[in-house]
Amino acid sequence: MSPVHFIAVPLFAAFLIPLIGKVSKELVKIIPGIVLLYLSYLSISLFPIGVNRPIVEIIAGFNPPFGITLYYGPIAAFLTTLITLVGFVIWLYSYKFIIREPTEKYYMLFMMLITGSTGIVLTGDIFNLFVFFEITSIAAYSLTAFLRDRDGAEAAFKYLLIGSFASTFFLLAIAIIYANIHTLNLADIASKIKDIPLTTRLFILILIIIGLGIESEMFPLNGWAPDAYSQAPSPVGAVFGGIVVKAAIYSLMRIIFLMFHTADVLHFLVVMGVITLLIAEMSAMKQQQIKRMLAFSSIGQMGLVIIAFGVGTEPSVRAAMFQMFNHALIKSLLFFAAGYLVFHSGSKKISALDGLGHDKPITSFFFAFGALAIIGLPPFSGFWSKLYILLSVADAGLMVPVVLILISSIIEAVYYLRVVSRLYFYKEEATDVRRTPVSGLVAMGILTVVILIVGFYPNLILHWMTPAANDLLDKAAYIKFGLFH
Amino acid sequence: MIYYITSILLVLIGMYAVLVKKNLIKIVIGLSIVDNGIHLLLIAIGYVKNGTAPIFSKAGLQPNQMVDPVPQALVLTAIVIGLAVTAVALSLIIRLYDHHKTLNINKIRKLKW
Amino acid sequence: MRKVIAILLLIIIGYYSIDTILKIPFGEGVKGVGKHYLESTIKETGAVNSVTAIVVSYRGFDTLGEVTVLFLAATGLGAILYDKKGKKRSLQNASLIVKTSSKIIYPLIALLGAYVFVHGHLTPGGGFQGGAIIATGVLLMFISYRSFETNHKALSIIESLAGMTFVTIGFAGLIYGTSFLQNILPFGIPGELFSAGIIPLIYVAVGFKVGAELTALLDNLLKTIK
Repeated sequence: MSPVHFIAVPLFAAFLIPLIGKVSKELVKIIPGIVLLYLSYLSISLFPIGVNRPIVEIIAGFNPPFGITLYYGPIAAFLTTLITLVGFVIWLYSYKFIIREPTEKYYMLFMMLITGSTGIVLTGDIFNLFVFFEITSIAAYSLTAFLRDRDGAEAAFKYLLIGSFASTFFLLAIAIIYANIHTLNLADIASKIKDIPLTTRLFILILIIIGLGIESEMFPLNGWAPDAYSQAPSPVGAVFGGIVVKAAIYSLMRIIFLMFHTADVLHFLVVMGVITLLIAEMSAMKQQQIKRMLAFSSIGQMGLVIIAFGVGTEPSVRAAMFQMFNHALIKSLLFFAAGYLVFHSGSKKISALDGLGHDKPITSFFFAFGALAIIGLPPFSGFWSKLYILLSVADAGLMVPVVLILISSIIEAVYYLRVVSRLYFYKEEATDVRRTPVSGLVAMGILTVVILIVGFYPNLILHWMTPAANDLLDKAAYIKFGLFH
Repeated sequence: MIYYITSILLVLIGMYAVLVKKNLIKIVIGLSIVDNGIHLLLIAIGYVKNGTAPIFSKAGLQPNQMVDPVPQALVLTAIVIGLAVTAVALSLIIRLYDHHKTLNINKIRKLKW
Repeated sequence: MRKVIAILLLIIIGYYSIDTILKIPFGEGVKGVGKHYLESTIKETGAVNSVTAIVVSYRGFDTLGEVTVLFLAATGLGAILYDKKGKKRSLQNASLIVKTSSKIIYPLIALLGAYVFVHGHLTPGGGFQGGAIIATGVLLMFISYRSFETNHKALSIIESLAGMTFVTIGFAGLIYGTSFLQNILPFGIPGELFSAGIIPLIYVAVGFKVGAELTALLDNLLKTIK
């Protein structure tokens, strides 16, 4: 029972799937479910230990900084639990949703996408971070083009080009860091970063912000995201918006807080977060396809998270992580519902959804539920996280962002409620709709229940956010635990 | 020093190809050139004057006569990752050619803001 | 217009990059972790090739990630190019000279590839290099003969088994030792073929995996004519 199981067990299962696929196709679909269930159990049982005192697991028996380590601290514990649980729900949804061949390759790529994100969150070594980024990216490129249609291939190619730039810049930053301080362990780099001359440090910072910012969908590096989210199959869109981007933002924040923790950088983050939020929400208003609208909404929410991280105080970091948690659940629910709505209406356009509220009441209800939750209405969980972000940003004295966040919330309400009203209040065209499969309904139901519970008892989750926030802000503790094992 | 400048020039030439060229295959070749430039930079960083390969092949070879082995290990991994990205890119190009019957990127730009 | 913007952007990036890079000393001695690796590679891993010791032992987790990346690329390529209809590679064979000589060279190339990955801990080379050499030999046969076929089922089985072997060796380190991928077999005498614990085992597995994977990948990419 150690954190390395999070990476090694899914890898073993992924290598096993082609062998099992020759024997039985149905068994192949179940394997990711079993793996994710085991990992969820593992993360829940390791969670209290990791929050108490970070588990630093060394790989290959060599102490840091000569070997690679996995740093399982409070934030890593929280994010791994989130990733594995949400991953399990998304698997449940995919079980009956993915009907296009070759399904066995889909499940392999899906599991690797989740494992890559878990690796990004767990690792304590910067080159290992690069390798896991590439694992995630390549699985993402392949899954975006999985439906093999014309737009999918184009979206995947665009994503590939921009993603390759990201990894190039990141690798260049790693090269310069190694050339100056001759080590690759994150804690070791954090302790020696002052030895690098200032202009070089600035250059490394810019490279890392561009490299990791592309995957975190910061403006103006997020041009690939709307296409990728809308062309990928809906469960894959849920993984992108709910899991991958959170891991990317966490890694960016971890590096910034460990190595570049200055007021200017944090100020820059707030500014970029605000710009991302506003432009994304305004673009979402203009969209006519439902999944592109959800993609822009996702980018906007991540802008909100970046603002909260940028403020840099303990309450704001707590609120940022709470928002990440809520958004993962709510955005997955929205993608699930949108997936079946698109499937049954036969078109990706919002105008094709008119009147589906009557034909598909349960799915439309889930979509409306998710829309209200993400706008931030009580008693849903989205209300609390947005409230806490606004309070903490106001506490730090930054009133302009507060006003802009409120404006963007109004814009968000407009375009979401527009879709909900089309679902319920427009004339329907009589089409022959099939029933949504049980696995999809159960998946959406689980998310709805959790969103409601957290909405009524936000302290259930907030309680764990305090050690997590301290983990991110406390550089000395990270260095002490990371090197001293 | 000349190695550092050459590798950065390779990266810039590759980026120019990706940004400006219109043929899809040329864009992927540009990506490959960028990768080569970064790998060359990494290996050049590890060089030691009059150093030899970091293998204890003869008895009596001292560690201070060898070059740095770490960048070589990093480049080994990075080359394989570059290969994987190129493979996926080429398969996407085959798919795009099947649908559009052209390799010109301007004719393929359908998805907009 | 686009060219001008691109060139300006590249000049800015290039200027700052060269400015930063030139501050790095060139050709000085090895410092930091590299120095430790060079000094302790024989004691701590038993391998004579320091780069192999780093790739498989000290940073073995990166190698596991790299093997996964290659596996994902082959899978992704298979998913994107998935097509039920059979396709051909080309419409004609190569010329007589190419056909005859490739028949002679192909076994030698395969032998060289196997030599490279088995001796990874003693000479420059290793699993990835050896696997790539084998795949190049197969590519030669693909280009020369229109009807040269490889058994995809067997390749996929080799790939999966080799990958599982790697992860199992890692878990064996966790069960019989203290950490994942720890070197639990005896080190032997440095310089012998059977030395360095698990390093040759891992590299043999990686060699097979990479060879099989690249062969399947090349076959998928070459078959495009209906």
